[in-house]
Amino acid sequence: MLTIAAGAQTLKVTEGNVTYLFPAAQAGEMTFTDGITLTIMNKAFTLSNVSMTIDNTAVTDNSVAVVYSGTTATVTIAGNVAQFVDADINGAHVNLTQSSLVDDVVGEITYNLSGSSTDGELYMSGSYKATIELNGLTLTNTTPVYSGAAIHIQNGKRIKVKPITGTTNTLTDAANGSQKGSLYIKGHAEFAQKGTLNVVGNVKHGIKTGEYFTIKNATINITSAVGDGINCGQYFLMESGTINISGTQDDGIQCDIDDTDTYPTGTGETTDHEDEDSGNIYISGGTITVNCSATAAKGIKCEGDMNITGGTINASTTGNGTWDSDDLETKAACGLSADGNMNISGGTLVLTATGSGGKGMKCDGVLTISDGDITVKTSGGLYYNNGTTENTNYTGDTDHIDSDYYSSPKGIKAGVKTESGNRYTYSGGIVISGGTISVTTTGYNGEGIESKNTLDIIGGQIIVNSYDDAINAAQDLTISGGQIYARATNNDGIDANGNVYIKGGLVYAIGASGAEVAIDANSEDQKKLYVQGGTLVAIGRLESGASLTQSCYSTNSWSKNTWYALTVGSDVFAFQTPSSGGSTMVVSGALQPSLKSGVTVSSGSSIFDGVGYTGATVTGGTTVSLSSYSGGNQGGGGGGPDGGGPGGH
Amino acid sequence: MKKILLLLTLMVGTLTAQADNYTYLTFETTDGAKASVAVENLTLTISGTTLTAGSQQFTLSNLSKMYFSTADETTTGIEEVTAATLDEATDIYDLQGHKISKEQMRKGVYIVKTKNRTYKMVVR
Repeated sequence: MLTIAAGAQTLKVTEGNVTYLFPAAQAGEMTFTDGITLTIMNKAFTLSNVSMTIDNTAVTDNSVAVVYSGTTATVTIAGNVAQFVDADINGAHVNLTQSSLVDDVVGEITYNLSGSSTDGELYMSGSYKATIELNGLTLTNTTPVYSGAAIHIQNGKRIKVKPITGTTNTLTDAANGSQKGSLYIKGHAEFAQKGTLNVVGNVKHGIKTGEYFTIKNATINITSAVGDGINCGQYFLMESGTINISGTQDDGIQCDIDDTDTYPTGTGETTDHEDEDSGNIYISGGTITVNCSATAAKGIKCEGDMNITGGTINASTTGNGTWDSDDLETKAACGLSADGNMNISGGTLVLTATGSGGKGMKCDGVLTISDGDITVKTSGGLYYNNGTTENTNYTGDTDHIDSDYYSSPKGIKAGVKTESGNRYTYSGGIVISGGTISVTTTGYNGEGIESKNTLDIIGGQIIVNSYDDAINAAQDLTISGGQIYARATNNDGIDANGNVYIKGGLVYAIGASGAEVAIDANSEDQKKLYVQGGTLVAIGRLESGASLTQSCYSTNSWSKNTWYALTVGSDVFAFQTPSSGGSTMVVSGALQPSLKSGVTVSSGSSIFDGVGYTGATVTGGTTVSLSSYSGGNQGGGGGGPDGGGPGGH
Repeated sequence: MKKILLLLTLMVGTLTAQADNYTYLTFETTDGAKASVAVENLTLTISGTTLTAGSQQFTLSNLSKMYFSTADETTTGIEEVTAATLDEATDIYDLQGHKISKEQMRKGVYIVKTKNRTYKMVVR
């Protein structure tokens, strides 16, 4: 970027509200033709329409400045690009046309917008990349001239949008237009710099980009939108910065595949995202806070994969489910939603859903969690709607109603189970190898973590407190590592419609009293629970017919809200019992374990939100007599724990 | 290394030029005569067929070009103008571009064309 500094001479040619700045060093020979036309740097002016002065104004090459003031606007264009930019101004409605001749030789043009107007807009067209600087701009479009958007960039190339550091900018579109966004960019949008952009979307989305959306450093506040807060195509990528979204009548952030004719299922991720049209979301840093209140709204949604490697995401939904008359099924709100896979390897996620049927996070593909800190809370009940009748807290039996008619609240859900006649097909699934995951569901039928296919836990710490099954898989469920606390107050702690394999890790599972169990496999369909390794505490019996390769032991009673210590070799796991649960306590370890009740824990590594300690040092307590446990056909459910016990932490 | 490269890129990418000191705007008429005007806070106004630059006035149709210059390029040759030169004049113009005769010359600046060249003449 070349700036001709003050002190040098500049010829200013003014035509209406447009001023062109020609530095003396660049102007060269300015030719008159027939006393009518003056041509400067290939820009022709009708002499009768212009006035000219010379002063020391500094000129930055490739720059265009638009200053709004009330109901008027002025445009200033650097001389070296004067021939390439045409400006039409109608009050404070500005239409800039960037010539198709702009290329790599001419270079990128930067448009700097400032000032304030209660009835203005910027419409810019072109076919070469450009930068839009928001330099303390407050722009409200009241009576659209070129577009209903506050800023409409009809340029399919890469557009950088820079809220200038230290400035606050506010865009509000017209209420009576047909625009797709208050800020609409046809091409790629790259947000940068450390300024703030506030957006109100009165017709559709707050920000709409036809192609990819990236953000670094900038702060974007969507305070109101009739559609989504941010809606983009191709992919969404956030490295840093802040996005706050509220007041939307649809999703917070939505990313779709742009060209579904060419890429029906997307391109997938490409090297350096070159020509990528994946519908993916990538978040590696920054903070996103989304509060959605609309029915069935998603905090962050994508048509492809969602990849989170860092940053902080707070997504809250309060809307109930709804009947989708196009798909003829119920839809429910969700904090994070991906049609493809979801990969989480870092970051802090806090997801809350309070509406009926609301979920914390879900994907149709494989959910892989290898790191990060995830907290999910749902409190809504079961949503029912058959297209004519709605019930936002349905408590009836769902076993015999069409699954399209209801949405269950769930903390985390992944995969798809498809029914075709009497056959089922399964896809997607869940693999957890790291991170800390805390899930709480309190509404009727709310499951904690559910895979519609297989579920594998290799590592990480998982804490689930749920109304319905705490951890559930439609196919096999395998635990070979990690620390798992799974407590269901009204169903099984761990449940699979396939086999359940306990091969390693630390598992503390609590099933409800009555007919439910701590760990359930689908024995009705010749599936089994296999206990082959790991350290296990199961409150409530195990599924009947379990294969216990690693010996298990049990006691038929336990004291609620009491600290116990399970010793396996030199390892001591101290745990606090719940206030309710099945009557039998089953324990297992690599070596024959011993159990004490009523201990006092003096040290150790706190896990499971404080109800467990590994490497614990305990004192006191009473040794519990353990019996060999051979399967779930002993001890039975019902009864619940006995009274409170001594000690505690 | 990345930061160093970025710094170098910025240093190369942002250039501030202090251009030559263009203190004159020089006008050239269709006959090749030049008149330079100091540009300090110069305003150029156009009224009808006349362009006024400071104290100078030009008929638009007689102007061929203008450009910034670092020196006064007003057509020289005053020292060479003699009575004989004036006798050789084929055309004489005032700075408004009006063709005049020798007898009409009063105090002021004129453009005198001979067969061989053009002079600027100051009558005092």
